[in-house]
Amino acid sequence: MRILIVEDEVRIAELVEGALARAGLVSDTVALFADAKAALAVTPYDAAILDLGLPDGDGLRLIRDLRLARSQIPILVLTARDTVDERVCGLDSGADDYLVKPFATTELIARTKALLRRPGGALGMTLKAGNIVFDTVGRDVKVGEAPLLLPRRESAILEHLMRRLGRVVPKAVLEEKLYGLDDDHESNVVPVHVHHLRRKLMEADATAEIHTVRGVGYLLMEATA
Amino acid sequence: VIRDHLGSLQLRLALRLTALCAVAIAIAAAVLIYQAYETAGSLNDRELGLRAADLARNVSMSPAGTPRLQMPPKLAASYESAAGADIFAIRGSENRIIAASPPAFGELVRTWPSAGEEAAYFHLKEFGTGSQDFYGLAVVRESAAGLISVYVARAAEADALVHSLLREFILDVAWVVPVLFAIMLAIGVLAIRSGLRPVRRLSQMAAAIGPNSTSVRLPDRNVPTEIVPLVRAVNHALDRLEQGFQVQRQFTANAAHELRTPLTIVTAALDAMEGNGELAKLKVDVARMSRLVDQLLRVARLDAIALDVSEAIDLNEVCSNVVAAMAPLALTHRRTIALSRSERSMRIRGNATAIADAVRNLIENAIAYSPQGGKITVSISDDATVAVADRGSGIRPEDRRAAFERFWRGKNVRTQGAGLGLAIVQEIMSAHGGRVTIDDNPGGGTVFTLSFKMTDQTAVASHVETRACSDTAKSRISVVAGPEEQQQNLPLAGEHRGQAAGHAVQTLKP
Repeated sequence: MRILIVEDEVRIAELVEGALARAGLVSDTVALFADAKAALAVTPYDAAILDLGLPDGDGLRLIRDLRLARSQIPILVLTARDTVDERVCGLDSGADDYLVKPFATTELIARTKALLRRPGGALGMTLKAGNIVFDTVGRDVKVGEAPLLLPRRESAILEHLMRRLGRVVPKAVLEEKLYGLDDDHESNVVPVHVHHLRRKLMEADATAEIHTVRGVGYLLMEATA
Repeated sequence: VIRDHLGSLQLRLALRLTALCAVAIAIAAAVLIYQAYETAGSLNDRELGLRAADLARNVSMSPAGTPRLQMPPKLAASYESAAGADIFAIRGSENRIIAASPPAFGELVRTWPSAGEEAAYFHLKEFGTGSQDFYGLAVVRESAAGLISVYVARAAEADALVHSLLREFILDVAWVVPVLFAIMLAIGVLAIRSGLRPVRRLSQMAAAIGPNSTSVRLPDRNVPTEIVPLVRAVNHALDRLEQGFQVQRQFTANAAHELRTPLTIVTAALDAMEGNGELAKLKVDVARMSRLVDQLLRVARLDAIALDVSEAIDLNEVCSNVVAAMAPLALTHRRTIALSRSERSMRIRGNATAIADAVRNLIENAIAYSPQGGKITVSISDDATVAVADRGSGIRPEDRRAAFERFWRGKNVRTQGAGLGLAIVQEIMSAHGGRVTIDDNPGGGTVFTLSFKMTDQTAVASHVETRACSDTAKSRISVVAGPEEQQQNLPLAGEHRGQAAGHAVQTLKP
C-alpha cells in the first residue's frame, strides 16, 4: 500500500507522512510537479494526496494529465483555497475528493482510506469498520471473530456503507444498489433492510453502528470510545 | 421621485425651450398686432389727408369775393350720414372760418394757431354733443381762395369698424398660436429625447456595474462630446475600483493560504502527539482558532467580493448536501439531525456555496447549543424558506436583533465560537435579497429561518404544489419548519400538530 504525497510545505508533508504511517500506510513525498509526474510514471501508487499550489506547476494540470493518460489512481486534493471555483475545478478535472486546510489528521486518514476502499481500490478487497470485517471477494462478514450471515441485500447495503465509512450514503444511492437485486421496488425497501441489518449488527456486538439521517440517508460510524 | 424628475436634464431643457417658445411667440404676436394697428392708423391718416385735399379742392371764391365751400352733393351726403363722427373746419386768412361742420368745431378751430406746411395731428377730448374723442389732422392747402387751413377729424369710435375687423382677424388667427406652440414644443422635446438617448444608454450600462462586473467599461463612441469627459472619468474611476477589488481579493486569498498552512501544521502536529489532558485541551484551542480564522476569512471575503447569486439552485439539494456533511459531526456530539424536504423541488437563484455555508453555520450553532440527544431539523418549505430548528435553550427576544452582529455571543452561555457565524449568515442572506429570522421552536429551542426570494420557477412550482399537496403534507411542513407566519397561514397546523409530528416521523424516515 503506497501513497504519494505531493506537497511543497515540508512540515505538512512530514506530518501527513507520519499520520499515514501510524495508520499503516506507506508513503513517499515529492514537492514538485515534475517530480510527481516522474514518480507516478515509475511506481504504481495506490493513491495520491495532492496540494494544488505547487511551486513549479498547477496541481489541477497534473490531475488532468493523469486522467488523460487513463490513470485510475484515487486522488485526494488538499487546498487552502476553499472557494467554489477551486472545489469544482478540482473535482471536474478528475480529483476524487478534497480537503480544505486546516484539516484534522483523522479526517485525512478516513478520506484516504475511503478512497482505498473503493471497488478496485487497494483496500477494496477487505473492508473494515470497527470490529466488522467484510471480505468483498468471498462476500462474508465477520464481527470480531464470529461470522455474521447476511442476506444478499443487507450485505450489499453493508458493503456500501463500509466503503463510505463515516460519511452519509444517500438513500437513493442504496436504492440504486439494490435495484438489480430486488424484484419489488417499493420505496421503503431500503429502510426495512437497514432496520434488519442494524439489529443484526447490534446483536453481534459490532463496534460500528448504522445511523439514520432522516431525509438524507444512512451512515456507518465506528463507535467512539 | 418627483424631485429626481425635476432635476432631469430632459425636463430642464424642455422647460427652457417652452419658456423660450412662449416668449418668441408672444413677441411675434405683439409685433403682428402692433403692425396691424399701425397699418390701420396710417390708413386713417391717409384718409384724413385725402379728405382734407378734397375739402380744399372744393373751396372756391364766391362772386362776392368771399371764399366758400361748395361740396358735391355726394360728399355732402356722406358728411351728413357720418352723423357727427366726421367733422371738419376750414379756416381762411385772418382766422376767418370758411366752413365748419359742426359750427362749434369752427369756433374751436378759430382760436388755434394756424397749421404749418407739414400736416399736424391733434386729439380732441370730449368734444361735441356726444362728448366723443376725436383724432384729427390739420394741414395747410392751396385752394382757389388762396392758402387755407383744413382741419379734419374723426371720432375715435369711428375707427371701431376697423378695430373690430382687426380684432376679429386676430381672434381668427389666434388659435394658430397654441397649435404652433405645441408643435414647436413637441419637436423640441423629441429632439431632446433623441439627443439624450446615448446618455440614457450609458446610464443603463453604468447601472448594471457591480462588484461582480468591475471589468465593464462605458463606451465613449457615439456619445455627445460634452459627455465624453464624464464617461472617461467614470471609466478611470472604474479602473481604480477594479484594482482595489483585485487587491482585496488577492489579500483574502493570500491571507487564507498564509494562515491556514501554519494552522494545518499545528493541527497535524498535535494529532501526531500522544500525551496527557493538556494536549487534548491544546487540540481544542487550536480547533477553535482554526474555526475563528476560517470565519474571519469568510467575513473578509463576503466584504470584499459580492456574491454571484445568479446560479439556478435547488434548496433541497443544497441542504441535503449540508446535512449529509454535518451528520457525522452531529452524531459524534450525540445529536440527531434530520432533513425535511419540500414536496416539490425548490428552485431559486442564489449561490449554492454561500447558502450551504449559511445552513452549515446554523447547524453548527444548533449542535453547540443543543443538549445531548437533542434533535436538529433542517426543513425546506414551499415558500422558499429553510428553517433550522434546535432544542437548545433558545435566544431571548431582546437579544435576537443583536445576535446577528459580529462577535456577538449569548450571555451566560459557554461557547467556543467567535460570534461570527450568525453575522456571516445574515450577510449571505442579504446578498440574496432574503432575510434570516429567529423564532421560538414550539416545545423549546430556537428556529432560524432563512427566507429566500422566490423566482418565477419557484412560484410556479409552489403554486402547483399548494393545489396538489394534501393537508398532512402542509401540516408536516409547518410543524417541522416552524416559522410563525407560516403557521398562521395554515389554520390546520395547530389542530394537527400532534398527529402531524407523528406523521412526519414516518414519512421522513428514508
